[in-house]
Amino acid sequence: MRDKIQAALKLSKADYTEIRIEEKESARISYQGRDLENANAVIDKGGVVRCLSRKHGWGVATFNNLDDLKNKVEQAYQCALVAQSEEPIELGPIEVIEEHIQAVMKHDFRDVSMAAKKALVENYNNILLGSSDKIIDTNSVYVDSFSHVYFANSEGTYIEEERPSVVVATTAIARDGDNVQQSHESCGGPFGFEFAQDKEEMARTAARRAVELLGAKSVVGGQYPVVADQMLAGVFIHEAFGHLSESDFVYENPKAKEMMVLGRRFGRDILNVYDDGTIPGQRGTHRFDDEGTPTRHNDLIKDGILVGRLHSRETAAKMDEKVTGNARAVSYRFPPIVRMTNTAIENGTTSFQDMIKDIKLGIYACDAYGGETMLENFSFSSGYAYMIRDGRIAEMVKDVILSGNLFTTLQNIDAIGNDFKWLAVGGGCGKGKQAPLPVGMGAPHIRIQNVVIGGQ
Amino acid sequence: MDLMKELLKKAEQVEVVNLHNETTTVSFEANQLKSSSVAQTRGTAVRVVRDGRLGFAASSDEKAITKLAANALESAAYGDRLILKFPTAKPAQQVRTFDQKIVDLSISRLVEIGREILDLILPVEPDARVNLNLTRSVQSASLRNQTGLDIAFERSPLSFELEIDRIVGDDVLIIFDVVGTTQWNDEYLGFARRLVEKLKMARKLTRMRSGNMPVIFSPFGVLALALPLNQGLNGKSVYKGTSPMRGKIGEKLFDEKITLIDDGTLHGRPGSAPYDDEGVPHQRNVLVEKGVLKGFIYDLRTAAQFGVESTGNAERGLFNQPEPSSTNFMIQPGKTPLKDMIASISEGILVEGLLGLGQGNIISGAFSNPLALAFKIEKGEIVGRVKDMSIAGNVYDLLKNVEAVSQEAEWVYGSIHAPYVLLPQMNVVSKE
Ligand SMILES: [Zn+2]
Repeated sequence: MRDKIQAALKLSKADYTEIRIEEKESARISYQGRDLENANAVIDKGGVVRCLSRKHGWGVATFNNLDDLKNKVEQAYQCALVAQSEEPIELGPIEVIEEHIQAVMKHDFRDVSMAAKKALVENYNNILLGSSDKIIDTNSVYVDSFSHVYFANSEGTYIEEERPSVVVATTAIARDGDNVQQSHESCGGPFGFEFAQDKEEMARTAARRAVELLGAKSVVGGQYPVVADQMLAGVFIHEAFGHLSESDFVYENPKAKEMMVLGRRFGRDILNVYDDGTIPGQRGTHRFDDEGTPTRHNDLIKDGILVGRLHSRETAAKMDEKVTGNARAVSYRFPPIVRMTNTAIENGTTSFQDMIKDIKLGIYACDAYGGETMLENFSFSSGYAYMIRDGRIAEMVKDVILSGNLFTTLQNIDAIGNDFKWLAVGGGCGKGKQAPLPVGMGAPHIRIQNVVIGGQ
Repeated sequence: MDLMKELLKKAEQVEVVNLHNETTTVSFEANQLKSSSVAQTRGTAVRVVRDGRLGFAASSDEKAITKLAANALESAAYGDRLILKFPTAKPAQQVRTFDQKIVDLSISRLVEIGREILDLILPVEPDARVNLNLTRSVQSASLRNQTGLDIAFERSPLSFELEIDRIVGDDVLIIFDVVGTTQWNDEYLGFARRLVEKLKMARKLTRMRSGNMPVIFSPFGVLALALPLNQGLNGKSVYKGTSPMRGKIGEKLFDEKITLIDDGTLHGRPGSAPYDDEGVPHQRNVLVEKGVLKGFIYDLRTAAQFGVESTGNAERGLFNQPEPSSTNFMIQPGKTPLKDMIASISEGILVEGLLGLGQGNIISGAFSNPLALAFKIEKGEIVGRVKDMSIAGNVYDLLKNVEAVSQEAEWVYGSIHAPYVLLPQMNVVSKE
């Protein structure tokens, strides 16, 4: 494969050319209620050539047929010549690298039979179904995938990487008359089969919570102090803030540049946010991004001040900043774009008890159940929540939807917990058509004042 | 190796699907033509029934046919015991899904069209940043099963995706639109003209109070109402027991002005084709007629679970098994001209877009969303854009009482056709 790729690269007439080829096999087992919905394996193999003509722009060719790489390089070059960028496109400099990165799995899932994988999911699904007669439906999923990715560019970099991934997810749906509630728990990471085992407690939690939600009242809309658990805080910082620090949002947009100007105060001194693609075992972790740039720790907010952002080689050059290792592609079907890796709010000093003790009436919002942001405006649903009354966690409430303005909300974070954790959840991030991209998220509990909670 | 022949040695039923796709895209980013791309992708998906159990496998590697066959049979060893019969060939309606004029659009013609769209927007809105993708594809699909069913069709989707950001001081406006067709239309700039009108209208800002008031949902705003209904009418959520409409066929659930139709046989629409993705002919399915629930949409699997016929609503991607999905989902237009609808309101709001659609427990019908784009109506006229507003309600309650449905209707996001819908009373919250 290496010879084929390098022979094709040699023929390119473009200013810069890269080739990425991916061979992936994955297995999926899923139960829906009592029915086994899937127990299957799929094979996905293909490649992408990306050419840059400095004076024109980018050209991309995607394909499944790997026999004629040279022709694909020519196609991508022709596409690049069609583009009409106003200014020449430059790439931030990186070192030439040659690496072979092998996967380390304690228990290689490729050696595990479909029968054993099925038995594993069936067990989790039975826990969901058996937890209560109010559980009317479930969704229990196991997915593993093993990719072999080849990357080479015309500067001489050559990287081969094995990327394993395993995900387990359980959803319980409970019903009482017309009242239907659901709860979801998942986990995932770059590991072997061992990671998917012993997740019975996760299934029990999903089932218990779905049933609990049946008894929860809808929250009364209004403004509240909100304590967000690690999961909601992690999803919030990723969705509402993280995407704005992706430089492709900023680099061609003078108004966005103003909004995201380095040195601007984003929060109080206690707030620190970073993105780090080097954290061992997290879902967004890789040695190199999909342009061959080494990943690293990137501070985004330091002591409340915006200090950094995430780059591809193109956005780094355009903004005259250093490359950060954040150009990622969800698969060979797409070129890399600026993405987060593992994004986190740094640990603080406040204990959970201290955080809630002075709240007369507030909300403890946990987990995130979807959300959308539009520039600085966001709207998130929490998976489940509790009222806080007189400094104590009180009754469970449902339909808690948080919305607001990112800048005011970040300023309103007035306590950061001392209970940081990484959230190895199974889902992924979506941007453009590229989803789900595995990302890591982490946070301690945080307290936010004056959050608008929707309600009827 | 002939997959069908090979698999039939070991399985009672076999279905082989081949997909082939060639796509050309030109992408404008921040008003500049930054890139163009071509994609040639293909793949094969197989379903087998062996000893009464269903198996599935797929591959995009045409050299891995032996492994594909082995994977499908292994999958069946653990598969579902559902009695599912792959269909025999049935005559389907002629549906136009292919147009040589679209296939013949050169990459430079796509660039020209992109420039024409920008030339409509930028002179009127010099502060706008436009991201625009123009995509033209040629898709061929073939499907065979052991009954002798052997169908193939080609589609030529053309789509324009447009995102306009306009940031003036603290005022941020973002508008999305996607238009799609498989038949060339000389009026391809119509949608861009409508967007420009919307942008002009959105220049003037005004304020309004919270309260109960009449609300008009535009075809884009109607999505807030259509999404939960679309999910609730899906045979899969009915089978799962999560659809609030489960067990209510024949009951009057909505105002009689509400009629909902799914129709995969319309010429030129992105959701159309002569057959669905399991080889069942597409058809026109009336789901709600004058407020009365008539039926749900099914693929083969959910139809078998209910002991009914598939409604021709199977949809699949290469790597997934088919699932029921709407084709072209339509809320039928009504009798009221839009201008009369607006004129009838002394104080109210026109909802053009909501933030966070589709999040939360939407199948229950409950929603609560900030408004991304909305206009105030005062004394029968649109007087300006309002910001920082939100609405909340439950579709199943709200649609019991509909004041009016407009004559005018539009295709939004390619495959949803919707009129303007006026609700007499709704709670609107202003953050001010
Ligand atoms: Zn994201």
